[in-house]
Amino acid sequence: MGDHIARGEDFEKKAEKKLSGWGLFGSKYEDAADLFDKAANSFKLAKSWDQAGAVYVKLANCHLKLDSKHEAANAYADAAHCYKKSNIKESISCLEQSVNLFLDIGRLNMSARYYKEIAELYEQEQNLEQAIVYYERAADLFQSEEVTTSANQCKQKVAQFAAQLEQYQKAIEIYEEIARQSLNNNLLKYGVKGHLLNAGICQLCKGDVVAITNALERYQELDPTFSGTREYKLLRDLAAAVDEEDIAKFTDAVKEFDSMTQLDAWKTTLLLRVKEALKAKELEEDDLT
Amino acid sequence: MSAVFEGYEKQYCELSANLSKKCSSASLLDGEQKKQKISEIQSGLDTAEALIRKMDLEARGLQPNIKAVLLVKLREYKSDLNNLKSEVKRIASTNLDQAARDDLLEAGMADTLAVSANQRDRLLMSTERLNNSSNRIRESRKVMLETEELGVSLLHDLHQQRQSLLHANNTMHGVDDNISRSKKIIGNISRRMDRNKWIIGAIITVLVIAIAVILYFKLSK
Repeated sequence: MGDHIARGEDFEKKAEKKLSGWGLFGSKYEDAADLFDKAANSFKLAKSWDQAGAVYVKLANCHLKLDSKHEAANAYADAAHCYKKSNIKESISCLEQSVNLFLDIGRLNMSARYYKEIAELYEQEQNLEQAIVYYERAADLFQSEEVTTSANQCKQKVAQFAAQLEQYQKAIEIYEEIARQSLNNNLLKYGVKGHLLNAGICQLCKGDVVAITNALERYQELDPTFSGTREYKLLRDLAAAVDEEDIAKFTDAVKEFDSMTQLDAWKTTLLLRVKEALKAKELEEDDLT
Repeated sequence: MSAVFEGYEKQYCELSANLSKKCSSASLLDGEQKKQKISEIQSGLDTAEALIRKMDLEARGLQPNIKAVLLVKLREYKSDLNNLKSEVKRIASTNLDQAARDDLLEAGMADTLAVSANQRDRLLMSTERLNNSSNRIRESRKVMLETEELGVSLLHDLHQQRQSLLHANNTMHGVDDNISRSKKIIGNISRRMDRNKWIIGAIITVLVIAIAVILYFKLSK
């Protein structure tokens, strides 16, 4: 281990010397870039991620001076990967620079993928608003590259976080859009009822009863098989419970659905919110009476 | 109400006595007469069963304390009827071995009759069995739903991979085009290189000839 670190530092010093010295015209940056690359490799083997990341950044600078943006962007991406293990903010900034370079070159695919990585890092840090921003950008880029599945995946995440942040209208639109697109596709049509269920739950969170019934009818039209599914039954019961402001009925419907398939954390959070709202309304009415 | 029950009870007692007498007489007979007797006894048994059912209905409609007593009596009559039925079966079987088998089985059946004569136990057992089967059905439904979800995510992955493959295919076509273009360009370069070589060669020979001519004229002057 120590051996690798020593070799890495050795390479780094040599590269620095090359940069500051007066090598043959043109070749000094390339040689320095080579040496930096070797140095970064040794640091990676030694598992000292900070040093590796720093060296990769220097490597990227060299490539920029050599006007090879592609190489520079790759180097920034490598740096970001090294920093991911230790310092997340540095990693995010490196990824951003890499993304900008890729956008310049016109490699939208790679930049979309790195936007998605940035968004995932933000998600890990629980910074949901930033995550939404970056997932949206990634989805747009994927859409323009006609890679609809990744675009849909990113949009799903956007909708998830939007619902958690109480931006329900946005989430509803996204889910309905995805459901509509998935219907035509033979492979994806079995996932449609999941999307419609998510959209329905967001509608419930909004609390507008008329809208919920309209939405359920719309989903019926979209997908004729939806009315036979357990998801539809659940939504209908929940809508009725909200309409009558009956908490017991609500809990019963949720429990019945949960006994068959476990509800995941996101759905549980949202349904809990609806229940709290119901309880609050009930208390309010008690106060009034 | 209980008068009706008592009426039924009297009818049943008469009928059962009649039937038992017929049974004993039939066992002594043989052949055609035996068959006749047996058919008579069968019809008698059917009437007796109908009576018991009517008594059952009556008893259930009465007061609880009277009902308990009547139900006990009813149970006795039912076991009595069962005995008569087995008697008839035994008589109907002409085979001695068969008769001996019936004796053997009847002895065993009497025990089980005593055990499961308790209706409540039987009901409890059947309810439990029903509960078990419905639990198992629910479990299997859960498993089926989980499998369905798994299937959906698998299909999603397949879709993604399909798109990647298509994209790679397109890129490959692009690369193919680029390679054929670069092949042409390299062909061009090599042709031009050859041309340049010939031109330079020609110029050098012309210059050499010119120098030679000039030297020749200069020296010959």
